[in-house]
Amino acid sequence: MTTSDFLIKWIAYLVALIPVYVLEACVLCHLPVFGVIPILLPLAAVALAMLEGPAAGAGFGLIVGLLCDAAYPGVSGAWTVGLSLLGALTGYLGQYRLSQNMLSSFLCAFVSLVLIDLLRILPRLAGGTPLRSMLLVAVPEILWSVVFIFPIYGLFLWVYRRVPKRTVL
Amino acid sequence: MKRFIRNNGILIVLIALLLAILLFVVSAVLGGTANPLRNLFGVITTPLRSVSSTFADWTEGLYSEAYEREDLLDEISRLQGELSDMREQVQEGALASAENERLRNLLGLREKRRDFTFESATVTERSRSNWSATFTLSKGAGMDIAAGDCVVDAYGNLVGIVSEVGENWSTVSTVVDANFQMGGYLTRTAGAAVLEGDFSLMGEGKLRLSYLPEDTALMVGDQILTSNQSDLYPSGLVVGYIESLQSDISGTTQYAIVVPESNLEQLQQVFVITDFDLVE
Repeated sequence: MTTSDFLIKWIAYLVALIPVYVLEACVLCHLPVFGVIPILLPLAAVALAMLEGPAAGAGFGLIVGLLCDAAYPGVSGAWTVGLSLLGALTGYLGQYRLSQNMLSSFLCAFVSLVLIDLLRILPRLAGGTPLRSMLLVAVPEILWSVVFIFPIYGLFLWVYRRVPKRTVL
Repeated sequence: MKRFIRNNGILIVLIALLLAILLFVVSAVLGGTANPLRNLFGVITTPLRSVSSTFADWTEGLYSEAYEREDLLDEISRLQGELSDMREQVQEGALASAENERLRNLLGLREKRRDFTFESATVTERSRSNWSATFTLSKGAGMDIAAGDCVVDAYGNLVGIVSEVGENWSTVSTVVDANFQMGGYLTRTAGAAVLEGDFSLMGEGKLRLSYLPEDTALMVGDQILTSNQSDLYPSGLVVGYIESLQSDISGTTQYAIVVPESNLEQLQQVFVITDFDLVE
């Protein structure tokens, strides 16, 4: 793969991230369903990792993580390292343990959403926040986000099929 | 081994870990000021946020016009009634103020003052997370807004506290945010308590009043103001009123559920108190 191919490929992936961000930040943010907003950016990291493998997954996870750290409130840096790790793991599973298809992507994205909310719940639980009240936020958030797994995977699959295949990272 | 690390993205994860540590340390050092990454992102996305917020408000306005016309007409007639009552109260208040001034002069007391420096700002984005109740405002450090500044609505009701400041944006943690905490003053009983956000109440747009003074009979509807026991925040700002009184699981401690006076869902313009001078 030439440098030009490499650049085109990653620019295409970054461009594909823009509609996901705009949908979340500018549309769904203003239309909460039962007061809940879905989280879409991590789904993009998981979808690409499933298609491209661990190294590219970690790299894209890092970029999406930086974006999440910039956009979401919370502990600075947590998204960067979390999504990079999640991208590497998903990529590894997609390449060596699961088949690279929509179902595997759904499974990995769902587990990722559960892990993300688990990481939000555990520190608060230690701080004395009742588990029930947090589950009332986490469960609808996961369920509403799950709806977007297929469209986001579909978007990245569409881009993946149109860019040079071998990743050089 | 090198090949394994390279092919499986471990090197990139390590880079991510270093970046994360760097971000965490910089954020910790800067305190309430946004780290360079968040600041840059905030500066770049401010126009986008403003456009989407304006568009959302416009569509909401269209919806209201189409489907809530009758309700709005009822609301107008109700408000007209309230306005005439208020006018009477203002007249009575003016007489009381004049009397108060005479009595203060008689006793040689300093004149009671509330000098606030306001900076008006527009709400450009509501919370992007289900785990916090925040607003993003259209102004930041460039307009002397700092972390810890109180934010009020057009009626002077407390909306929240500025929690993070960027160059041309700032984030406000509203009074219902789970991390919110402030001293509260009970107007009717002249007691003090602690106002705090509660995770289970955040979704309902309410907060909790804890550490209630002993031997005080609180009533539903009691008004809560910001306390005068701290120099950090201006006192006397209306926070809300008591909606109900509850006991904790053990049944020994009471707390109150407070409904904010400010309509947090509908806010479009707010005022940041960048400086204040109070004489009680």
